[in-house]
Formats: sequence, C-alpha cells, structure tokens
Amino acid sequence: MKPVSASPLSPSVKVKLLNAGFHTSEELLQLKPLQLSKEGGLSLEEALEVQQILSRGVDQPGEGGARIGLTALELLQQEERSIVTFCSQLDTALGGGIPLGRTSEVCGTPGVGKTQLCLQLCIDVQIPECFGGLGGQAVFVDTEGSLVVQRVADMAHAAVQHCSLQDHDSEQQEAMKDFTTENILDHLYLMRCHDYVELLAQVQLLPDFLVRNSKVRLLVIDSLAFPFRRHFEDLSVRTRLLNGLAQQLIQIASQHRVAVVWTNQMTSQVRSGQWELVPALGESWGHSATQRLLLHWSGTQRQASVFKSPSNTERSVPYSVTQHGFRDAPHASPGASGPPRREAPSGGLSGSKRPRMQEGQ
Amino acid sequence: MTETGAQLFARLEARRCLIDIEPNLFPKDCGPQYGEVVELHGLEGTGKTELLYHLLCRCILPVEAGGMGVEVVFVDTDYSLDMLRLVTILENRLTAGRSTSRPEESYAECSEEAVLRSCLSRLLVVHCGSSSQLLLTLHYLETSLSSRPSLSLLLIDSISAFYWLDRCGGGESVARQEDKLTKCSEFLARLLRDYRITVFATSHAIKRNYKNVATSSWSSSSSCSEYEQPYLCRPWQRLVTHRLLCSRGTAGANMAATACTEKQSRRQVFTVCCNSFSSSSSSKEIKAHKNSSFYVTDGGVVFV
Amino acid sequence: MVVLREGMCPGLDENIVRDLRAANITTVEDLVASDTEELAQKCSLSYMALLAIRRVLLAQHTAFPVSGADLYEELLSSTAIVSTSVPSLDKLLDSGLYTGEITELSGGPGTGKSQVCFAAAVHTAHQLKQSVIYIDTTGGLSASRLLQMLQVQTDHVEEQMEALQRIRVFRVFDIFSLLGCLHTIRCGGLQQASLGGGSVKAVIVDSVSAIISPTLGGKQNEGMSLMMQVAGALKTIAKDFNVAVLVTNHVKRGAGGELQAGLGLSWSHVPRTRLLLERSKSPGPLLGSTRTATLVKSSRQPCHIKAEFDLNWVSGPEEGLLGRKRARDSSDS
Repeated sequence: MKPVSASPLSPSVKVKLLNAGFHTSEELLQLKPLQLSKEGGLSLEEALEVQQILSRGVDQPGEGGARIGLTALELLQQEERSIVTFCSQLDTALGGGIPLGRTSEVCGTPGVGKTQLCLQLCIDVQIPECFGGLGGQAVFVDTEGSLVVQRVADMAHAAVQHCSLQDHDSEQQEAMKDFTTENILDHLYLMRCHDYVELLAQVQLLPDFLVRNSKVRLLVIDSLAFPFRRHFEDLSVRTRLLNGLAQQLIQIASQHRVAVVWTNQMTSQVRSGQWELVPALGESWGHSATQRLLLHWSGTQRQASVFKSPSNTERSVPYSVTQHGFRDAPHASPGASGPPRREAPSGGLSGSKRPRMQEGQ
Repeated sequence: MTETGAQLFARLEARRCLIDIEPNLFPKDCGPQYGEVVELHGLEGTGKTELLYHLLCRCILPVEAGGMGVEVVFVDTDYSLDMLRLVTILENRLTAGRSTSRPEESYAECSEEAVLRSCLSRLLVVHCGSSSQLLLTLHYLETSLSSRPSLSLLLIDSISAFYWLDRCGGGESVARQEDKLTKCSEFLARLLRDYRITVFATSHAIKRNYKNVATSSWSSSSSCSEYEQPYLCRPWQRLVTHRLLCSRGTAGANMAATACTEKQSRRQVFTVCCNSFSSSSSSKEIKAHKNSSFYVTDGGVVFV
Repeated sequence: MVVLREGMCPGLDENIVRDLRAANITTVEDLVASDTEELAQKCSLSYMALLAIRRVLLAQHTAFPVSGADLYEELLSSTAIVSTSVPSLDKLLDSGLYTGEITELSGGPGTGKSQVCFAAAVHTAHQLKQSVIYIDTTGGLSASRLLQMLQVQTDHVEEQMEALQRIRVFRVFDIFSLLGCLHTIRCGGLQQASLGGGSVKAVIVDSVSAIISPTLGGKQNEGMSLMMQVAGALKTIAKDFNVAVLVTNHVKRGAGGELQAGLGLSWSHVPRTRLLLERSKSPGPLLGSTRTATLVKSSRQPCHIKAEFDLNWVSGPEEGLLGRKRARDSSDS
C-alpha cells in the first residue's frame, strides 16, 4: 500500500486526490480513468496521467534491480571500468583512472589544466578495446566557450601516435585503421551552453541522447560552475538547482554507464583569519561528486590531489601539461610508472579488468 | 450515552491533580490544574525530551519513591520514545528513593525489578503515523480514560509532528491544512473537560517562513525569538494554558565550535521559561511567569 | 481522512453509505466524531448497527496502546548494538549503533562519512553474519572498496563473497525513488533482503541530504513534507523491524562559522544520535587520514565529547601504514 503523498505526482493533483479520500496508489489504480476523474475531481487527462505515473512505480521495468536491489557481490561483478588519464601516477592514485558510472569533479584555478584533463579524457575514452581502452565516445558540454578544436586535434594526434608505436597483432593493426584523429574528433560530441538555463535543459535531454548514442562513455561539463556563478539573487534557488543537477548527473552516470566529469572553479574565502582558496559553489556542493580532484600549483610543479573518494586514499601526485596533452610529470620516477611509452594503455588494461582485487592480494 | 454512577465517579473524582508535579518549573500555585494543557517548545538539543521524561517519571513512580503513582498515556507521534533512557532515569530515581525511605515502607521490600515493572505498567504507549490516525486514536483512548480512573496525564510527543505533512496535504487552503489538528484540539478540549485529565505536549521549533533552508542554518540565529513563536492552529493555541520555552544556557551554545571538557559539558545548563496563561478568556494574558534552569545527569533532570 | 466506502466493515452497505453522505458524513473521522444517537435518528438507521459500525471502524483505524512494561520487555529481548568497527566511534556511541534508532553522521566532503558506513556494513555482514541494506544515493558505494576492507579481515575468498552477498544495495537518485524503496523495504523487502542468511540488522542511507536537499529551498511545502515522510519511513523501519538506521548528512556553517548538520530545523529532531565528523587540524597540507568525531546529540552520553580516528584504520592497520607511507613519499617528491 504505497501512500499517495509519497508518489511523484504534482502537488496540486496530490491535494485533490487526498481530499477526495484516496490514500494509496493501489486504490487509484483499481479505478477506471473515468471513475477516477469523477471521484478525484480531475480532468480525464490528469486521471490518465496519474494512473500512468503510478503504474510505472509498480513495476519499473527500466531500472533493473531498483526494487529488490543488488547484493554487493553482484555489484562487484559489475564494477565499472575506468578511463585512463595518461598520467600514470594519477591513474594509480585513482585506482585505474576516472571510473565509469561515477561522477568526478575537477577543481582548480584558471590555467592549471582542468580543461586539458577533460580533453585528454575525451580522447582516451576512445582508445580501442584491444589497446586496453574502452572504444567509447564522448560528450563535451562547453559553458565557457573555451574549447579550442585545434588543441583537441593535436592531442588526438599525439594519442594516435602513441598507440601506433606499439601496434603488434593483427587485431590492433585493424583497430588502428579506425583510430584516427579525424574519427576521434568525429566521436566527440560538442554542446555549447550559454547560461544555466541552457545547461539544465541540455542535461534534461541528455538521457535520450545517450540512448541514441549508446557508445558514449564519458560526459564532460566544462565548467559546471561558470553559469552558476552569476545571476542569482536568491542563493537558495541556486543551491536547489545545483543539488537537483547533481542528482541528475549521478543518475545519468549510473544508468548509462558513463563517467561524468565536471570542472569547478576556485574561490577565495577567509577562514580563521586567513585567505584560502576553496572550490566554488559552496561547501555543501562538495558532496555532490563521488570523487573530487583538486589541481593546484606546488611551486612550479602542477599537482593533482585526490581530495574525496570513497574507494581511494587521499594523496597528491605531480603531473604536467605538454603539447601532447595531460601527462606524467617529467621527473616522475620511472621505476614507479614503468616505461613511459607503454605504460598508459597497458596500465589501463591491467587496471581495467580487475583493478582492486589484484592490488589487494 | 448513559453512564453509571461508578463511571461518573471514575470520570470526575478519582483523578489525581497534577498541580504539584514540579514546583521548580511552574510559578507558585500555578501548576497544571485539571483540564489544563502544557506545551513544551524548543529547538533541538534544548532538553525538551529530558524534561518530558522527568515529568513522566514523576507521574509513574510510586508515591514512596517521590512519584505520584498515576497512569500516563504517551502518544508517540515522532517515534521518539527512548525506553532505555526512560528506564535509566526510573532506576536512578528508585535507587535514590530507596536510600532515603525507611525500610518498613512497603515498596522497599519488593525487588527492584518488580517496582520498575509496576512503574512501567502505569505507562501506556501508542504510536501514531498520521494526523488522522492521531484523531481516531484520541477517540479510541476515550474508552481507556473512562475505564481507568488513575489515568491522569496524556503526553503527546510531539503535537507538531504532522505539521508539514498537513501543510502540504491541505493544498492552498489554510483551513484545510489545519483541519485535522483543529479537530484533534476540539476533541481534546472535550476530553479535558469531561475527564479532567492534564495534557503535556511538545512542539518542535520550526522555521516557518523559511527562505534559505538549504543555505541557512539552525540554532545559531542571532535572535532566537522567531523560533519561539507559536505556529500551530488557533484552536490548539487556545487550549494551551502553560507554555514552557526551553533553551540552552549560554555555555556551549554551538555544537561543534565550543570545546568543552567532559565535565563542563555534562553540566550544560538548560533554561526553561514558563508562562502560565489565564485560561478563562479567549484573549490570553500571562498570569504568572517563572524561569528555572536545570542540568542533565545520568539520573535525569536536576534543577539548579 | 479515510473516506467511507461500502464494504469497509461488516454492515456498512451501499445504502448506509448513501444515507450517511446525505447527512454530511463522508469520512471515518466524521462518523467517529459525530454523536451516534443523533446521527441514527437523522439518517433513520438503527442505533445499534451504527454503533457497531463506529466501533469496528475505530478499531480498524486507531493505533492501539501498549503497556510500557510490555514494551520494555520486548525491547530487552530485541535490542542489539551494531558496532561500527571503529573503536573510538563506538566509544562515542556508547558501544555502537543501537537498533530501533536513527544515528546520523554529518560532516563536510571527504570527512569519512561513507567510509564509516562501509566499515559498519562490512562489520555487520562479516563479523555479525547479519544482512545490511545499503541505500546509495550518491553513486558513492564502491564494491571493490568493500572487498578491500573484507580482505583485511579474512583471507577466505568464500567468506568475503558471503559477506558481500549479505549487503544489499539499492541505488536511488531522487526522493520519490527513495520513498518507493523505503516502502518496498517496509512491506517485505527486509525479508527478501535477508535471504542471504541472517536477518537485516542495519539500514544505511548514504546520504539523505543528497537526495532531500534538491527538494528544499524556495517557498514551498512539498519538500518539507517529503522530507518528513522520509524521516517517518526511516523511524518506522528502525522501530518495527528493530534495525539500526545509519544516515549521513552534510554540514552548514552557522553565523559564527561553526559547523552544523544540514537539512534544517525540522530534520534536526529526527536522528536520536548525531556525530559530527571533521578533518583533524594538522599542520601539514590538506591531505591526511585522521578525522575528528564529535558527539553532538545523544541521549546516553554527554554531548560534545570528541574522539579521533584514522580512516586508514578502517581498511586495516597494514594498509594504513602503506597509505601513510605513500602519502609521505609523494609529499617528499
């Protein structure tokens, strides 16, 4: 007996139904639509819609296991793979890369390499499976207008070069034919949003887009903070919109097996008498992403810190941004990361199949 | 409905008056009379629950242990009754009572467990899940009231539990939103008149016209007065004859920032401000006023 | 309001319902509140029949009083304390999570709320051999992390797998799904979940704030109503099935800069016990695995007592050492 007040109907319809004495969805579903519209004081359309919404709640075909849940064991068997970052130390710190089915936030000051990391991921997600990649596609939602296509092309070219240097078997040779700069650009879907309204609308439409383009494994929003940092008189409205957006993104990540990555800016704040840089959008926003990556300068060295993560311990690793893209810091000890040329895709290979189990044993 | 003489007697005469339930709390000679309603109001962490248990224990403990030995109905709308805590307080009170009482008194001979059980058997607990269930339950309790003459107190924790559900379920019309609580209040008024019981009810402070629930915070507002305003429907307000406003003393006002030593924090002082209203007229006037403060120990509330 | 319908109780037939409606009696509440004698005359119905209907309907819809002594008896036999497996937290909580109650962990991002939830889930599933329901609203549950924690406790793969099977995960991302999910659990989901062996002893919601806060804000009541429904459902699950409910909440800064649990005043009354988690203030950079927990609400222990714990301890001392060493290495380089 599911109570009407807990159902996803519009508040005004709920009030009408409650006042007409309906308390459970079962009561409502038993009636014929005409009867319901008469007794509940609804229009026939409303009555039909009510029954449609409520019956969806009864057997939810789309969300497999939503009703009885999954055991953690089943979850472990489905545990998602990751997208490598081409910075082996960061991949290790992240337990294999940016995970599918999760949301990640990348925070940092301008110019530290947030967009570079995002673009790198857009390319890396397309690495063919025989190279240990995912053979996927990417969606890039650009809110700042900061995307430079030439830069993407350069990075894609470097990635193709990187893979072509190590092609061995025939399968890989075959795969290399399709893994070209052109194809990479072709499978990177760009969406430009000028303000938060457009962004929210775009996110509404994304689930349909992802159904149509089922190979998409990565959604990037660069940056999520930008459209929300202006035009808000009532901050509670902003908080509410942002929280709702975060839940939608998590839903997208989980239901479409997509890694969702967004960037956030930094803002300065006085705390205990000192100015310090903290991620923008407020403290409670920090909860919204499953993991949070903080890019910052440590002297002249760029550092990435895994700041919040349910599955990895927190740590900082150095990285660099080269003309080829997002890479290991040049003086990173080769012993830890293996031969620099092979390490990224093969690291992805071993990391993607059973990352945790092997490490743990 | 007809009534036998015995029922009439049970209804009117045998009930214990609770005027002296806690002299520390109520103004002199202004304790809760027959048919009066006491509302305990405050934010989270202001000692409401402890105070309620204190009063509850005072009622159900035997006279020998400093109690009043009357029966109590606890209407638990918040699912908040903490039986373990209640028993701890009872046990402490019983032990304290035992050490001061003379050995020849009857209750000292029974085992501690048995006394505890007899205290608890004076307590009836009922859980309600919605305001309409609350209303029907009050109707149902009428039979208990008429058959148990020593049942003197009705506790409702809390009367504000269904506020938001009713607000939303009632749509735009305020009358509709308040419909059920209004009916409950009207029926309570009848019970109070017919059975001469006393009602204690808690109400949680809420932010009524909240703007920034998601961004603002509770309990640290510069002025606390906005939380003190009664917000429940008028028929309920009319019933209330004593209003206890609970608040935290100055020490340790914020929950995390103040670092207290263990001992200090145990001595967190809570203050209660009691306003007694003259119940006769419709326009309420404060008849008497008393401030008191207490701290909480393992054994319950201790007044200072 | 429960509308009167024919067949709701014996004797309440179509004619009586119609007659009552004519007398403006449409709901059970109306009927119960009306003077039966007067009503019988007005509707020209039999007084006895009407009285019987009133009695049955009242009995159907009322809640029944239980003696405190019986309640205590029942409580003594059924209450259990579920350890969080973090000793310092157990100490704050007076030995662990009590069944029948809601315990809340509030804290900022990365303060270890989820880690404590994982640890409690793993402990219940492995050490106590009882089932756990884990409602994940942030997509943050990582089964591999659970496995990692289990591997610290046992080498037997079979035991690890068994423990994982005792943790049932629900992923819900909006408040209606959460309410639906809690509703399923209330009507039989608990038994289903416990098929893996052992009864359900803990229900974990990580996090409640992620799912509730999108509905709050602005001037509308529906969010508050939904929040109180979630609170009500959790409380009933805790009480009726006698399980420990553990929820996580975010924090806000008050006017004085102090941390407070999120979701506002009305929610603040909901959990029986509340812990506030913070990063320990260390001289070093932002990273570090020690966390401070402060007891901010409790009916058993004095409030404001603090304890420290190490997140790495949760995954086992060995891993902890390793983690710390790695962290030092990276800060050296």
